[in-house]
Amino acid sequence: MLLQLMKKREGAYTVERKRRTEHKPTEEASVPEYLIYPLSMHIGAPAKPVVEKGDYVKIGTLIAEKEGFISANVYASISGQVKEISDQPTMNGKGPCIVIKNDYQDVYEAPLLSEGEELTVDQKKSLIEQAGVVGMGGATFPTSVKLSPPPEKSIDTLIINGAECEPYSTSDHRLMVEYAEQLIEGIRVLHEVLPVTKTYIAIESNTHESVAVMKAAIEDVDHIEIKELETIYPQGSEKSLIKNLTGREVPPGGLPADVHTLVTNVATTFAIYEAVRLGRPLTKRITTITGEPIKEPKNLWVRIGTPIQHLIEECQGFQSKTGKMIHGGPMMGKPLTSGQVPITKGSSVITFLEKEEAVRSERTPCIQCAECLHVCPVSLQPILISNAYENGDIDQAEKLGAMDCIDCGNCSYICPSKIPLLDNIRSAKSEIKARKEDN
Amino acid sequence: MSNTVSLNTEKLLHTPSPHLFSKRSSAWIMQQVLIALLFPAIAATYFFGWRVLLMIAVGIISSVGFEYAYQKLRGLTITIYDYSAAVTGMLIGLSLPVTAPWWSIIVGSAFAILIVKQLPGGIGRNAFNPAVAARVMLKVFFTPWITNWVTPEPDVISIATPLEYVGHFSRTVPEEVPGLWDLFIGTGLGGNVGETSKLAILIGLIYLVVRGIINVKIPLLYILTVAIITSIYGDYSFTYMMTHVLSGTLFFGATYMATDYSSGALTPDGKTVFAIGCGILTAVIRIVFNFPGGVGFAILIMNGLAPLIDKHLAPRIYGHRKRPAQEHQL
Repeated sequence: MLLQLMKKREGAYTVERKRRTEHKPTEEASVPEYLIYPLSMHIGAPAKPVVEKGDYVKIGTLIAEKEGFISANVYASISGQVKEISDQPTMNGKGPCIVIKNDYQDVYEAPLLSEGEELTVDQKKSLIEQAGVVGMGGATFPTSVKLSPPPEKSIDTLIINGAECEPYSTSDHRLMVEYAEQLIEGIRVLHEVLPVTKTYIAIESNTHESVAVMKAAIEDVDHIEIKELETIYPQGSEKSLIKNLTGREVPPGGLPADVHTLVTNVATTFAIYEAVRLGRPLTKRITTITGEPIKEPKNLWVRIGTPIQHLIEECQGFQSKTGKMIHGGPMMGKPLTSGQVPITKGSSVITFLEKEEAVRSERTPCIQCAECLHVCPVSLQPILISNAYENGDIDQAEKLGAMDCIDCGNCSYICPSKIPLLDNIRSAKSEIKARKEDN
Repeated sequence: MSNTVSLNTEKLLHTPSPHLFSKRSSAWIMQQVLIALLFPAIAATYFFGWRVLLMIAVGIISSVGFEYAYQKLRGLTITIYDYSAAVTGMLIGLSLPVTAPWWSIIVGSAFAILIVKQLPGGIGRNAFNPAVAARVMLKVFFTPWITNWVTPEPDVISIATPLEYVGHFSRTVPEEVPGLWDLFIGTGLGGNVGETSKLAILIGLIYLVVRGIINVKIPLLYILTVAIITSIYGDYSFTYMMTHVLSGTLFFGATYMATDYSSGALTPDGKTVFAIGCGILTAVIRIVFNFPGGVGFAILIMNGLAPLIDKHLAPRIYGHRKRPAQEHQL
């Protein structure tokens, strides 16, 4: 026990707010009249529209095609007519979107594969790519890219990420509880396309139900182990998971494949199952709509493209004033200023906070409590990087490892002096990047 | 949706993540330290009488007063509401014997606040612990008035401290030294008022650890190091080792002084080295020299070394092979 106390935590025990929606089964959200599909709902190059104004589309019609290696296809999630292709508010500010008017007929496009078809490894990988699957935990990195690493970086370890560490989010938890079988099938697909010898399913210990369900589901599957992890933020971050489960560390600026590991979120694994076993492109996902201001927080099956405003109404609106609307959780999410922003592939949770919860109190001098060092999952010294930035010493900030910061937010969260540590580190990072580009 | 609150998007905050903040403030942390100091303060009042309360009051009022006056005169932001000056004042009040004259508390506060804390730039910028520096300064310059090791009232008599028997190359414990139980509870002991009852300090220590204010490894490694060295030196005599552990300022210093944020080490490994260093120096000073105050000197020396320790023990960043090379700058 004492040794435990003496150990560096490498994380923070943040507020625990999952109870609002943890035990609420997923519901199918109703679909509004207009759905909005940003061309850039993934990391990498925006997709290129392949429909025009006035075109008729069905559920599963390809509306924008991936362009380049790191990009992803976008599919219609309703049947109806393309209203326009124009700039609309998205989680990343205004950007080009395809707007489709719903005809409420829910006509489906033919699946990407015909029934009973035998598939080769390459065909399976290609289906995952075609279906537009990206990392649905929030990173939205195209999954197909991760499945085809260079030969010297072949994947031997698979980590299924069910460690949903953002304090409000329960979409992954509900997916595990309600769709364990399909998830296992998704894992089987990954086993078929990758030479993995070990698979871990990582789940935080606070979600007992999903642990129990998944344990029962894997009983007759080989090489899979459920790892129940301490509930500590950011337990579910890719780098932390890899270190905690395999002892490996991703090199600076590198990818999990550099240490022969693949991490996929449970929602992504479900999408892989749908793509390869059912030939279904990615058109919907589970999103948790939650937070104190929301009258009835829910886990909803949402058609990708549904504006958030519509989902607020699905949850009976507000019971108190919202001070902040966040795409994602309160630790890493992006603040939104428009209810028109649509749900995209990476929208696991939309968090609403009251103003009092979200306001940072006034900054006071650093008392050198060292808490920011204690909670940093990658062992940075946030206060020193922040000081270096404030002193204009960008070289020093770089030497101290500013570029290794994973943006988890723990330092700013924990600081008793309310120093904007992460803001300063982010600023230092962008200055370092800008310098590199200049040279 | 007439009966619901609507989303006024114009009033939404749009500052970047994180969007939630821990409720702890610096002032809250200092309040916790004050609460933890209440335990030895209560014990001291029980053993030495009401004068202890006045000593604490004089310490707090003078420390806070000096900080306020300094900042007011220099046109700086007033920081007395962060309670850190109060912590220094309370530590000074508890760091002196019951016979200490009132002026010595005020001189100590002035030195701690004005010279040690405010001169380098105030809270978080002091290299040395203000209260420790003040008590060492008082010991060095005002010895006749404040080092009388007095037992509790009514028989205020000056006797030798237990450390004078076990220190200075002595390897055994003479009979004059109080028993271990008395040393632990604090009954019949003299000395600086706050450090008599190890039991009370232990309660304060547990409180600080449970509240997450201090890193338990600092007091633990500090005391353990002293225990190991004195144990070896005393031919593995349990009584000799425990007399060292339970005597003097060790418990008090390890709990309330070596754990000071600003003057200690910042890095996790640095804290380990800092604590062990305090332990080694304390044991050596006690064994080799014949004067009390080893803890104060040990902590001050380690305070001075802390930036150097941190510089060499910056944590290894995830994915990197070596610790980052850096200048320690704050």
